[in-house]
Amino acid sequence: MAIARRRRGISDMLDDYFRDLERELEGWREAFAERPSWNLKAGTMEPLRDMRITPTEVVMTVDLPLTNPRTMQVKPSDENMLEISAEMKRKVKFKEMGITHQKGEFQRFHFHTRVPVPVKMDEMKIKFKKGMLEIHLPRKHRQ
Amino acid sequence: MSEIRIVEKQQIPSGTTMLFGFPDVGLVGVIAASHLIDELGLNEVAYVDSRLLPPVIVLHEGVPHSSMRIFGSDKVLLAVSEIPLSPELIYPVMDALIDWGKSKKVEMLISLSGIPMEDRQDATELKVFAASSTAETLKMVQDKGVEPMMEGFMVGPQAVMLMRSAQLGLPAITLVAQCFYNYPDPEAAVEVLKGLVKVTGLKVDMAKLLAKGEEIRLKARDVMKRTQEEMSKMKKGQEFDIPVYVS
Repeated sequence: MAIARRRRGISDMLDDYFRDLERELEGWREAFAERPSWNLKAGTMEPLRDMRITPTEVVMTVDLPLTNPRTMQVKPSDENMLEISAEMKRKVKFKEMGITHQKGEFQRFHFHTRVPVPVKMDEMKIKFKKGMLEIHLPRKHRQ
Repeated sequence: MSEIRIVEKQQIPSGTTMLFGFPDVGLVGVIAASHLIDELGLNEVAYVDSRLLPPVIVLHEGVPHSSMRIFGSDKVLLAVSEIPLSPELIYPVMDALIDWGKSKKVEMLISLSGIPMEDRQDATELKVFAASSTAETLKMVQDKGVEPMMEGFMVGPQAVMLMRSAQLGLPAITLVAQCFYNYPDPEAAVEVLKGLVKVTGLKVDMAKLLAKGEEIRLKARDVMKRTQEEMSKMKKGQEFDIPVYVS
């Protein structure tokens, strides 16, 4: 019985280790991948964002210029993933950003991101001022 | 051949004020520089050529340009970079630009930049501070109504510009506006330009810059992202640190 319990313990530890490693790698991929900041097929742009972890909460800021605040959506897609989108006030074309060798237009900001520490998604608070979204997520501390 | 070469495209006037706008916190310097080029009708008068620079060119109207250029008129020279400088490039590039400016007998060097501010999104007023290469220049700036930055760390091209100018005995000022660390900040660019107007007496209309603020934030996302990577390598966050003054 004791041996079975210890085996389960080691297996849990390995599971935790690989889960953490996977999260870590995903964070690195997200941070360093050389890919465009837009998705032409979806007509979306990825906004600039920043995340700060304090002892009591996770604070995320997202720069959403030219967006209509009424269309903004901040959705937890699981216990540590957030999906954020917002419609722009108007369509933005490559041409008006000085790019003429690409054709296409964008109408929405969209991205999803992992919160690296456990948080209480149901107690999320958001504010939006001058195109800057601020999300506050209280941290969930293990008992 | 010197590692960094300034190639002149036309006769460079003497006795101008040399300005610098490089990618840094809030892209304040670059946004301000871009506005100055439009408002003052500056033309490209020289560019930086070096094998030390990354293999990046900027296409404008289908023809290649250096990513680091000098624009000018008979009163002003403005050095601008469209890509962030990696830490190992800052000393050689700034040294070359300042030495070149000295050879052109510039009267004053002024770097435009930002200083990161905590909770910037809640700020209703952005302050502008100045640091200077000499006590006399700092006094002049104070007399013109810009608050001096008395203690603290400064990291990046504007820090090297100030130090090199002090070593060469050139009057130089770094103007910094409180800004976002990680986000393009056109409002801070307006404030730093107001500081420049106070110091130099240049006439710059800010209306267009204020009106285009959101478009600029949208367009500048990619440059800001690349700049964040370089800022993190050069330990830009040190500007938040409290120095231990050793007299």
